[in-house]
Amino acid sequence: MGWIATTVDIILNSLVLGGIFLIMGVGLNIIYGLNRVMNLAHGALYALGAYFGFTMVALGLNYFLALLLAPVVVGVAGLIIERLLISPMRKRHMIYTLILTYGLMFVIDGLIKFFWGQETRFIQLPEFMQQTVSVGPASYPVFRLVILIGIAAVVAALMLLLGRTRLGINMRAASSIPEMVSACGINVRRVQISAFVLGCILAGTAGMLAGPLFTVFALMGHDILISSFVVVVIGGLGSLRGAVVAALLVGFVQTLAEFFVTDMAMVMVYMLMALVLVFKPLGILGEGKFE
Amino acid sequence: MRALKDNPAGKLILLGVLVCLVILPFVLPNRFYVRLVNEIMIYALLAMSLDVLLGYTGLLSFMHNAYLGIGAYSTGLFLMHAWSGSVWLAMLAGVLFTLAVALPVGWVQVRTGGLAFALLTLAFGMMFYTVAWKWYPVTGGDDGLMGLPQPTLSLLGINLASSGNSTAMYLFTLGVVLVCFLFTWRVIHSPLGAVLEAIRENEERASFVGINVRRYKLVGWMLACGLAGVAGSLYILYRGYAGPGVMGAFEGAGVLMMVLLGGMGSLWGPLVGAAIFIFMKDFLSSLTQDWEIFVGVIVILLVLFLPRGVAGLPDLLRRAKAE
Repeated sequence: MGWIATTVDIILNSLVLGGIFLIMGVGLNIIYGLNRVMNLAHGALYALGAYFGFTMVALGLNYFLALLLAPVVVGVAGLIIERLLISPMRKRHMIYTLILTYGLMFVIDGLIKFFWGQETRFIQLPEFMQQTVSVGPASYPVFRLVILIGIAAVVAALMLLLGRTRLGINMRAASSIPEMVSACGINVRRVQISAFVLGCILAGTAGMLAGPLFTVFALMGHDILISSFVVVVIGGLGSLRGAVVAALLVGFVQTLAEFFVTDMAMVMVYMLMALVLVFKPLGILGEGKFE
Repeated sequence: MRALKDNPAGKLILLGVLVCLVILPFVLPNRFYVRLVNEIMIYALLAMSLDVLLGYTGLLSFMHNAYLGIGAYSTGLFLMHAWSGSVWLAMLAGVLFTLAVALPVGWVQVRTGGLAFALLTLAFGMMFYTVAWKWYPVTGGDDGLMGLPQPTLSLLGINLASSGNSTAMYLFTLGVVLVCFLFTWRVIHSPLGAVLEAIRENEERASFVGINVRRYKLVGWMLACGLAGVAGSLYILYRGYAGPGVMGAFEGAGVLMMVLLGGMGSLWGPLVGAAIFIFMKDFLSSLTQDWEIFVGVIVILLVLFLPRGVAGLPDLLRRAKAE
């Protein structure tokens, strides 16, 4: 029965990991789709979300409340970043915003180290989440299942937002033909700004969900940033559906690789990316062209 | 930027700087500063090689230091395990190995566009960093390569001294960097350089006039990585050691900053940028631990207010005077 338990374990773990990648990758793609900005500070914002959440829980807030609140704070930070740094760069070549957000990443990372220090932090979870539950033949920690449900809730909320609300529909429209949306009398700038903020909120949410999984540490944003890029590149830049497929694929490959080769797991993921790019240079579902 | 031939002022400045650099180790009593200038020259070469990619071909590499690292490790491994008799052979081995690694990576990268290219440099750079850090039996893992033999340096047939001698190492570095600079200058101001610039300006139009964009991007990439490999082999000779730290993301940002500080697309700007950056880092890191925040803030300010760096200043002044 051992191998069945292992299989269940791997499937659940890769769903959790893939789910985190999904939230990050979709956030990057929403920002890119509307603003033509690849946000290199996305990983740092993810770490920021986890740290805000850590502090809120440490101050006595319930984990679930913090899960709702911390991303909002990250969203506010995102709004400030957009107004202060990204807006002035609107007309410039993309290379400049890329370098700018790279600088921003170091500032946020540095600030995190400055305020929270270098040591690893642990988000205190509610009592019931610290137990294990049996899933078929395998026993599985409850908090991982809760996080899996949390990821599903985020994805459902995102689908509702993008598919059913006016803002979401405007976003999708503006990402393909901004001029047309503007001609319909919709303030495209405002849609673009909300897309940036939404991306930041998603990064914060992912950080808060991942906090209990991987612990909270100063450089937690670096690995996830690279993985999210891999997801975005494999899925196709700007393609939301592509990001979903790629996130689950990368999550699965990485979990499997961690199980078999441990140290060099990430190398396998890069190999996967190289392989996809050799056959589909624009990614699995990338329709548009890279700029 | 005009060619060096019809730019007497530029020629004179280059000659003046060169004379100063040659005299420097003999008049400077403090060995620490001789070694600092040596490091500046190595990073100047790396920054210049990134400028070939960023400023001329229009491709961004976030972790160009990865190829410095590969050059350093492979030169070091050649000296340790193969033959420590000839420094030139070791450097050649290092550069060739760097090129051999860069070729498949570049081949994959140029198949995508500019933005994905930049993201891929980050991913591959992190991969090389992971390998250097985790492949303990070969790279020494966290400890890095240690116990390196110190080969005899020779320049133009003259045996200088062992690479442990700081003055000899300094002159050797100066010679190699100068040759690389002149070589790159020549290439950039040849028809090949014009093709690279055409790709930077408008990829689509370049392909319409019959330029194989992917192939020339790869040529630009290989040139940049080869030069970075040279810088790497100089680096390990100068330090006598290489650790995974040189390949980290933070170091990569530093190289990018050197190019930005100096101004991309000028070739000489990044050399100045490297000097400013390393002196500044030396100064700031003695003052504060949170050096990271300052690097980030300076990068942001540069992009916002001085996107063309030091090399853009003459133009800026000229325009201010004209008004």
